Amino acid sequence: MVEGNLRVEKNSTIEADGVVQVAGIAQFTGNVQVVGDLRCRALESEDGRVQVSGNLEVEDRAEADDGELEVGGRFKAGSVDVDQRLTLHGPAETGRLEVGGRLEAESTVTSTRVSVGGRLRVAGKLTAESVEAGGAVDLAEVSLEEMEVGGLIRVERGEVRRRIEVGGKFVSVGPLSFGEFEAGGFAEFRDSATGGSIDVGGVITAAKDLTFTRLHVGGFGEIRGNGKGRDLEVGGRFGVGGSLSLTGTAEVGGRLSVGGPVEAETLEIGGRFEAERAVVRGRVEVGGVVATRSGLKAASIELGHRSSATGPLVGGRVQLNRKASVEDIYGDVVELDRDASARKVVAGDVSLGDGAVVGEVVYIRTLRVSPYAKVRASQQVAQLPPFPL
Amino acid sequence: MIPERAGGRDPGPRRREATDLYATVLEVVKRYHGSARITRVSYGAGMPVDRLRLLVERLVALGLLQSEDLDGRPAFDITARGQEFLDTYWKMRGFVEGLDRLAHDQNPKNRR
Repeated sequence: MVEGNLRVEKNSTIEADGVVQVAGIAQFTGNVQVVGDLRCRALESEDGRVQVSGNLEVEDRAEADDGELEVGGRFKAGSVDVDQRLTLHGPAETGRLEVGGRLEAESTVTSTRVSVGGRLRVAGKLTAESVEAGGAVDLAEVSLEEMEVGGLIRVERGEVRRRIEVGGKFVSVGPLSFGEFEAGGFAEFRDSATGGSIDVGGVITAAKDLTFTRLHVGGFGEIRGNGKGRDLEVGGRFGVGGSLSLTGTAEVGGRLSVGGPVEAETLEIGGRFEAERAVVRGRVEVGGVVATRSGLKAASIELGHRSSATGPLVGGRVQLNRKASVEDIYGDVVELDRDASARKVVAGDVSLGDGAVVGEVVYIRTLRVSPYAKVRASQQVAQLPPFPL
Repeated sequence: MIPERAGGRDPGPRRREATDLYATVLEVVKRYHGSARITRVSYGAGMPVDRLRLLVERLVALGLLQSEDLDGRPAFDITARGQEFLDTYWKMRGFVEGLDRLAHDQNPKNRR
């Protein structure tokens, strides 16, 4: 037991049968090795590497100025500030933990705030309010409030309750839940993930199910399982292997391809839309191609100039712009613009512009046909046959 | 440290280019919220101080970093232009990674 402060010069080794206890500050200069356990009020080191082979317990602060700290056993400290490198082989419990260079932990870390200038790797569970790192982060299980990383994040599983922000790339291996998520470049969820708003500048891939409130992707992406959320906004191409269930809008600049059924409030697709079937409560606008196996149903459907559709279109109101070409349409009001064509139209009111071509029209109230439009067969009925979907 | 690629099907780490170094330094500086000392940044970026000084000078000259006196010594902070650089850099890296993966999946040799 050292009553006051302990001062140790470089290239020294301290060995003790039990615990080395320092009532004051343990001060080290240069490389110092402590064989056994060390307990002190504060630890200050300078220009070197301090290695404690056993447990290290620091009541107040542990500081390594221009140096490194390595702990073989359990590590406990009020606060930690290491300039270069902190290596922890046992479990750690600290207040604020700050490392300029690199933090490597083989076991669990429990801290209030972890801030690392460079790399962070924790093999055990990491529990903290916040984690911040400039470079790459490699974590096992996490229980965090928030995480902000400049370069890369790789995390096994766990939860980040408030926010994940990564400049570059994010990879989660196991199940993950989170609040808000923002990745500048690339995000990959290899297992199911559940979160709030997701914003990815470049590319996103989810190998299983992905649940979100809003998913915004600057580039392109895919969910190989099911996608569930409020809004989806994608600049380029997006694919979903299973179903896509949205309570809000899907807005895709390029192509939206869904292996299973789609549900949404509104759907705006700049290019091609593919799905097994789609039921949209509000409006659908597609600029290019609609391809469904069982059909597309919506309160209103508008297909762009020179667009086309395979699979039935079922709507309150269906409007085909110039030179659009489709198979069967079922609706309350159906309008075909100039040179648009359909195999069959079944509707309350039908209007066909110049050059429009329809194989068969079945209607209840009105059929308005331009003198330059063609209808091969038409039939007015009291009641329409049942619509698909 | 930034150019590493995680995941089993990645082709491995690529060489760190000048833009990667600039991005690394900007990201490390950003973590210190205006109080980034050159030595601390050197530990974070894994770069010797003398080499880092030259790089930081260039970043300051281009308005991507700003310097302020903190207790008589310079401390650095990222500027809005620096953040713009990072946003663009990471977005481009994301696209390249996505395209690399598509190319990888399209290659018949890699199909299961």
